[in-house]
Amino acid sequence: MKISGKHIIEAPVEAVWQKILDPAVLERVTPGIDQLEKLAADRYKAIADIRMGPVKGRFTGSLAIEDKVAPESCTIVLDQKSKIGNVKASITLKLVPLADHQTAVGYTGEARMSGMLARMGQRLLGGVVSTLAKQFFSAFEKEVNG
Amino acid sequence: METYIGKPIKRREDNRFLTGKGRYTDDIKLPGMCHAAFVRSPYAHAKILRINTEAARNAEGVVTVFTAADGPGDFGVPCGWQVNFKNGDTMREPQHPLLAKDKVRHLGEPVAVVIAATMALARDAAELVEVDYEELPAVTNPQEAMAAGAPLVHDAWEDNAAFDWCIGNDRAEVEAALKDAYHVTELEFVNQRLAPNAIEPRSYIADYDVNADKWTLYSSTQNPHLIRLLLCAFALGIPEHKVRVVSYDVGGGFGSKIYHYTEEALLIWATKEIGRPVKWTADRSEAFLTDAHGRDHVVKSKMGFDKDGKIVAHLTDEYCAMGAYLSTFAPAIPTYLHGTLFQGLYTTPLIHLNVVAPFTHTVPVDAYRGAGRPEATYLIERLVSKAAKEMGIDPAEIRFKNFIPAFDGVKQPGYQTQVALQYDSGNYAPTLEKALEIVDYKGFRQEQAEARKQGKLLGIGISTWIEGCGIAPSAVVGALGARAGLYEVGHVRVQPTGKVTVFTGTHSHGQGHETVFAQFVADRLGIPIEDVDIAHGDTNEVAFGMGTYGSRSLAVGGSAIVKSIDKVLEKGAKIAAHKLEAAVEDIEYAQGKWTVKGTDKSISFGDVSLTAYVPHDYPEGLEPGLDFSSFYDPANFTFPFGTHIAIVEVNADTGKVTLKRFVAVDDVGNVMNPMIVDGQIHGGVVQGIGQALLEEVVYDDHGQMLTGSYMDYAMPRADDLPFIETDRTVTPCPHNPLGAKGAGEAGTIGATPAVVNAVVDALHHLGVDDIQMPLTPQRVWAAMQNVQR
Repeated sequence: MKISGKHIIEAPVEAVWQKILDPAVLERVTPGIDQLEKLAADRYKAIADIRMGPVKGRFTGSLAIEDKVAPESCTIVLDQKSKIGNVKASITLKLVPLADHQTAVGYTGEARMSGMLARMGQRLLGGVVSTLAKQFFSAFEKEVNG
Repeated sequence: METYIGKPIKRREDNRFLTGKGRYTDDIKLPGMCHAAFVRSPYAHAKILRINTEAARNAEGVVTVFTAADGPGDFGVPCGWQVNFKNGDTMREPQHPLLAKDKVRHLGEPVAVVIAATMALARDAAELVEVDYEELPAVTNPQEAMAAGAPLVHDAWEDNAAFDWCIGNDRAEVEAALKDAYHVTELEFVNQRLAPNAIEPRSYIADYDVNADKWTLYSSTQNPHLIRLLLCAFALGIPEHKVRVVSYDVGGGFGSKIYHYTEEALLIWATKEIGRPVKWTADRSEAFLTDAHGRDHVVKSKMGFDKDGKIVAHLTDEYCAMGAYLSTFAPAIPTYLHGTLFQGLYTTPLIHLNVVAPFTHTVPVDAYRGAGRPEATYLIERLVSKAAKEMGIDPAEIRFKNFIPAFDGVKQPGYQTQVALQYDSGNYAPTLEKALEIVDYKGFRQEQAEARKQGKLLGIGISTWIEGCGIAPSAVVGALGARAGLYEVGHVRVQPTGKVTVFTGTHSHGQGHETVFAQFVADRLGIPIEDVDIAHGDTNEVAFGMGTYGSRSLAVGGSAIVKSIDKVLEKGAKIAAHKLEAAVEDIEYAQGKWTVKGTDKSISFGDVSLTAYVPHDYPEGLEPGLDFSSFYDPANFTFPFGTHIAIVEVNADTGKVTLKRFVAVDDVGNVMNPMIVDGQIHGGVVQGIGQALLEEVVYDDHGQMLTGSYMDYAMPRADDLPFIETDRTVTPCPHNPLGAKGAGEAGTIGATPAVVNAVVDALHHLGVDDIQMPLTPQRVWAAMQNVQR
């Protein structure tokens, strides 16, 4: 499944870059994330609870941040397993400074699902991802400006 | 005396079905029974790196957990039909293990089984089994599976082909005829993959009795004896006389419950290991993932015509998916149940079909209602209708031009096709004439033209179909690669009081055998229908049998019963002659009694039955009893045929297709119960409409199924359908005693091309000449936009 979107954050690009790579911030603002444990530089163990109608499950696996080009772009690589199926995703974030200390955060990538998640959830996921992204960015914006 | 044949006798079995008293496998609860849950692959293709069952073993209520390494990986379920490569090489036949060993090859393939006290505990514990996989690239499309560099389903071979087969005339000759043809119509399409969707999901209970050293398998199967044979002789190597297979009531099969599934064999293996009965019932998701699918052909075809619209040659190349393993009858479906129908109803002098059947990273594909014949009919009927448009000939007219002339199989010989089989009897034009009359064809064409002026898109589609039923005789199907005989067994036990129990080796899972068979048995014996009971579905009761598939039950199973009735009457005549003090040749049987010809001296069926079991005053040298079993191996397939006509309206703005009328005029030979035949036609037509408009199993590029629930797999519903109008002609089968041909698959075979032809007819003036099934509003709308631009 292709994932893409764009969000404007009321903060300068350097502040956004710093916070978006901070695991403590990510743990607080990412919807569903219970735990983000550092394994190595830019590699984390992640545990998340996701609920989408009939499809709900506890996901465990890895989250890695790759291809970092400060303060412009990076790629988040997810490999998550659950009883309802597994998710592999690679999402590239692009930060573009705008006028008035604003930053545009664009994200594009692809998520691959297996098992029941693919069979039952795929059709719902587009909507779910955009809802989760909205929640993420609004919580993230508070962190940056808080 | 009341007779029953030809009357719409209400179904005797419906009382229990409608009051919730049916005995389905999942209704059965045995003392000490535990429950199985399968751990299934979430990938279409992956290496199994490690399986950790420890947490599951320690979970509440768990009896045990088995993986391939515990033994089941050494056993596999067999394939029952061998189709070789056209160059003579043997079909490639991989082991189909009960649990996956090193690799999984389709989504949903079982890798472990958890057995626990209840179904809920088994399922909870199954979630605790940890399996590490290394995912590998997958291929799900049969044509792509044959491309260079495609991921291999089985590493033992250099490509994915299970076989590469052909039938018909010499290819070069057919190609030459196409080159010289006045007109050639071409068609390329996918006959899409369908899920069978029986209302009752598969269910099994395996029960090992340690004292008797015997197994009982309760199974939602269409053919209990065949399952026992495959299970004992091929899957597990256990003695056949120690195994009983019971299949009481089954809620629909459509082919998907013919096959010997890995779960059946695994549970029989497991029950002995644990010493307790064990049940498994699929949920709907498992049914989508693991019931053998149907169709999935990628088709490229050419049909050549002379200037009068007579077909001169037909050449088709197909890729037909087998799935990851060879299911029980899988190789037969796109070959001998498909290519042998390429003659259709037409005098086509030159035919060639080539089928490449690759393994794919999907659940196996096997027979689904019609099995190979709907695919043949769809192809031929779309080609003929497309050709009619291209050549400016009326679609009814082009069919009349090409029909094989009538032959009854008695005075005129059967029709020898170009594709191996000989048709038994046929009179094709009257079904088309009758169907055209019912829809008022000329009137409709005027209505269509008027409607078009108002911007309304009406269309009419014709499909004239034929199928081969009652797949037999054994010698012929054996020569075609069947690994079993395809005869049937009918056992008639006359009880001492003259009541009759009939044991049939066929199986009823919705067809109404308990009613239909009792009708002709009562008529032949001249006794009330209440005195006749039909038993089926238990290998301990019925001597042997091949089960139900290919619309064979009445034509083959019924004929076996008739053979036994003949034996009953022959022996009864000897007893009657003795009691009446007359010569056997001087007595006759009618209306339930033997009478000395020309006198009023008679003896009833009941009195003769009692004499047979209380033989105090009895013919010398004659054995007591009135109990006969017969094996009936037919002389040929039977070939029912008919015409289906659909009338549709296409919404010009949205592309939504609405069926306005559907007319089915079928000739299924002699009809025992017209209500049940109509019911079979209705159900079949709805499944055919489902394929035309709604249904499709979709896998993504990684072999994940995107249509694994009723949210995404669209089944036909009442509001998708018009009232289905049925009528019939009767051309008896010349080679079986009932003159019956079979009606179970007719609807599914005829309906699909009628609907698609109708939609194309509605849009043809816009330049649309084909649309890929299913004809969803989106596809229809897109077709209209592309040509309007």
